[in-house]
Amino acid sequence: MAVDRRGFLKFVAGVSAGVMVTPIPWKLLDDASIWTQNWPWIPSNVDGASTYVSTVSKLCPSCVGMKVRLVGDRPVRILPDENHPLSKGGISPLAVAEAQMLHSPARVMRPLKKAADGAYVAISWEEADAMLAEKLGAAKGGIACVSGDETGTINEVLSAIAVQAGSGNFYLMPTEAQPAAKAVAAMGGKGQLGYDIENSDYVLAIGANVLETWGTVIRNRAAYKAARPHGEEPAVQYVFAGPVQNSTAAGADQWVPIKAGTEGVFALGIAHLLIKAGARADAADFDAFRSLVEAYNPAKVAEITGTNPEQLKSVAGALMKARTPLVITGSDFGQGTGAATVMAGVAVNMLLGGMNRKGGLKLLPVAEPVVSSAMTRAEMMGKDFVSYMSRINAGKEKAPAAMVFYEANPAYALPQATKMSEVLAKVPFKATFTTFLDETAMLCDLVLPVPMGLERLDDVATPYGSGQALYCLARPVAPMPANVKPAGDYIIALAGKLGCSLGVSSWEEVLQAKAQAMGADWDSLMDGNVFMSDATVSASLSFGADALAKSVAPKAKEGDFAVAPVFKLGIGTAKTAIPPYNNKLIRRWELQGNELYVAMNGATARKLGVLMHDKIVVSNKSGNLTARVNIFEGIMNDTIAVLMGLGHTAFDQFSKGKGENVMQLLTVGFEAGTGLSVWNMAGVTISKA
Amino acid sequence: MQVKEFKVKWGMAIDIDKCTGCGACMVACQAENNLSPIEDASNKIKVMNWLVVYELSNKKPFPEHDVAYLPRPCQQCGTPPCVSVCPVIATDKNEEGGIVSQIYPRCIGCRYCMAACPYHARYFNWLDPVWPEGMEKALTPDVSVRPRGVVEKCTFCHHRFMQAKDKAIVEGRDPEALADGDYVTSCTEACPNGAIVFGDLNNPDHQVYHLARSKYASRLLERLHADTQVYYISRREWVRRQLDNYLDNEKVKG
Repeated sequence: MAVDRRGFLKFVAGVSAGVMVTPIPWKLLDDASIWTQNWPWIPSNVDGASTYVSTVSKLCPSCVGMKVRLVGDRPVRILPDENHPLSKGGISPLAVAEAQMLHSPARVMRPLKKAADGAYVAISWEEADAMLAEKLGAAKGGIACVSGDETGTINEVLSAIAVQAGSGNFYLMPTEAQPAAKAVAAMGGKGQLGYDIENSDYVLAIGANVLETWGTVIRNRAAYKAARPHGEEPAVQYVFAGPVQNSTAAGADQWVPIKAGTEGVFALGIAHLLIKAGARADAADFDAFRSLVEAYNPAKVAEITGTNPEQLKSVAGALMKARTPLVITGSDFGQGTGAATVMAGVAVNMLLGGMNRKGGLKLLPVAEPVVSSAMTRAEMMGKDFVSYMSRINAGKEKAPAAMVFYEANPAYALPQATKMSEVLAKVPFKATFTTFLDETAMLCDLVLPVPMGLERLDDVATPYGSGQALYCLARPVAPMPANVKPAGDYIIALAGKLGCSLGVSSWEEVLQAKAQAMGADWDSLMDGNVFMSDATVSASLSFGADALAKSVAPKAKEGDFAVAPVFKLGIGTAKTAIPPYNNKLIRRWELQGNELYVAMNGATARKLGVLMHDKIVVSNKSGNLTARVNIFEGIMNDTIAVLMGLGHTAFDQFSKGKGENVMQLLTVGFEAGTGLSVWNMAGVTISKA
Repeated sequence: MQVKEFKVKWGMAIDIDKCTGCGACMVACQAENNLSPIEDASNKIKVMNWLVVYELSNKKPFPEHDVAYLPRPCQQCGTPPCVSVCPVIATDKNEEGGIVSQIYPRCIGCRYCMAACPYHARYFNWLDPVWPEGMEKALTPDVSVRPRGVVEKCTFCHHRFMQAKDKAIVEGRDPEALADGDYVTSCTEACPNGAIVFGDLNNPDHQVYHLARSKYASRLLERLHADTQVYYISRREWVRRQLDNYLDNEKVKG
């Protein structure tokens, strides 16, 4: 059959029309677009039934309560827990990344031993057990234990081993809790300071970074949230005094710039004005305290702290007008402050009638130890690790034969970090129970992997900053990796091998005993509930005027400029580096590539003759760092702000080699009145690179 | 372009005075929506963020300096400039709720939408998403992973909207009349300061309805008339002034 021109055109038209009305080309196009985006190397979602389990974070120092969303048996999301008193519907930027941290490239997944050539080799648990028992057995009497878990009962187990081994060398990594405990002891008190922030109508945070890192910060922020209805006048005033306009200053109604390390003096300046206005407190040494603060008039306080005397008077006036004011003192970077800072803050609360009063300060009860020969919490808090390391460095104390670390990273997180690593090198045998291959693990002879908080049974007992005594459990919600062992049972068994008698046979037994000592119901705790108690310890505190007088005056710092470390929870803490999901939180001019930026105000930059992005060297006798300049006006004159959490030499690709570690600039000094080590006033010299 | 009206219009009221810039919202957003981590996050051109917290400064020298933080999700414009430029209709605003959609398989990666968006809310996958080994186990099943070559953006956690509607249907409630709090985004849920309030801008029973009408509420670049669904609240005049390009002598709302 011949096809004429007309027939051909009809055929083409028919085909065209047919193609247009059939779904085939559209389907092919759609499929092609899907296929070309569906490569085998792009991970696919795996479906499953969702369940939610309440627990508490052992990773975040705020001990935030959280709900874990599991899909099948996989934790995929960390969500806030409305019912947990340390969450109240909020979550911290660190804890929210915890499900992903389970798969961190920095996780240690099997025991490691340092070989003769310095490389780490995987070994079996049997080999690790034998090595640990042999080395610690040989070191008996010379074992020191260091814990980075401030709220866990594991500290009782570790301290009992240190005590029974004869040394009594058990130390907690430094935080704000130790100076606070020292302050309470110096003021003749018992128990743990508690802060009733929820019921306060005026919160003055002197140094304490209450909306970013201080204490039970997510609970603090829940109180802040409740007191500040959207777009309305705040029901509660927040005032922050510190050297940098940090997160707390950003949320506060008023920022009072004061020099780093002068928080105690600022508090005494407030006390001076309160006493002048007629405030009194029923304490035996009130007259001595009054004499002490007599000298801290606004002019002198302004001279020492760099504050504006009128601003000081206005804050004191507002405190006097408030019904339930609360003064919180601390360190804006969460460590290194002296007991005097806390004592001065407690003194102001006493003058405001805030002791054991609603919206004020409380003394919370602390449970007795449940492990035989374990240290009490007060004894643990009295042990100063930085001071111990300094004594070893100075040759005043012999280095222990063995050091055991539990979730602690002193090689990175202690002041004068480089020097501390050198001191650690003097210890012949070091072992660490750790989740991550951190800087301290890289110095250890034996690295023992422990599960993360989401994979183990663990506990939290009244974290510092809490307004109530509380106790809750971290429950295992995720399957534990095959070659990882929970530290509690392992260390109890190890203690047996070392001949220590702890009076307990399992970790669960320890926790059950602890729950009982706290007055909590075990079954309820295992259901995810939190035990809370309104009990307080009655104590008539003194002002500790003698100790305060010796301690409060800030020491002259080295160099012309001060360093103000900036601590952001999302960037990591003393025991963990930057979580993989969190490096996006680092601002553009805090880090570029691997290059650190430090911030200073325009006046300081002019004084130094530097411009934005110029390269500078910041140095003092403890160390130095090279950085570029960022101009940020929310910093005091002659002060540089440096982001903490950078400069890791271990961990993973998300942290290692990024920026520099500010801890190496923080020089350790000792508080005259209490002997406590302090490092909140680092001075530096700055030169162009 | 005419504003498309919906019976339900999901929106946010973000109180800038309550945001302290901690970044919990940003991390929660990444985990919820399966954004991959990146080794060098200082390379802000390659970093994928559906929500960014910007730092604002009153630009005064110390000690008069003030700082504020502005979380920026997709503004879900009423007249979305991205929609009108998309050659393949990979992004559209046609669903009840007023959320601007983003259909990844349809996106051809031309990035016209990125050029059109005045809020820099859209991100292009320059690289394949890579999770450290094993971390893909923490992916949520709700949001598909996007490959290299497509644009993505905040969807107001649209999957949560669908889940909330499903739940309402199962419970015998009207899925088109969700109660306040039935559906919230991941960032709203995570914020410990409660800086973000989420809800139906058309429903007087929702808190956001009233907040959007606050004298302190304004929208980003409001005079572009994009009619966005994200409102910012600040009692500070200097903050509100920075939300649009005001002349020095111009009066700011509030």
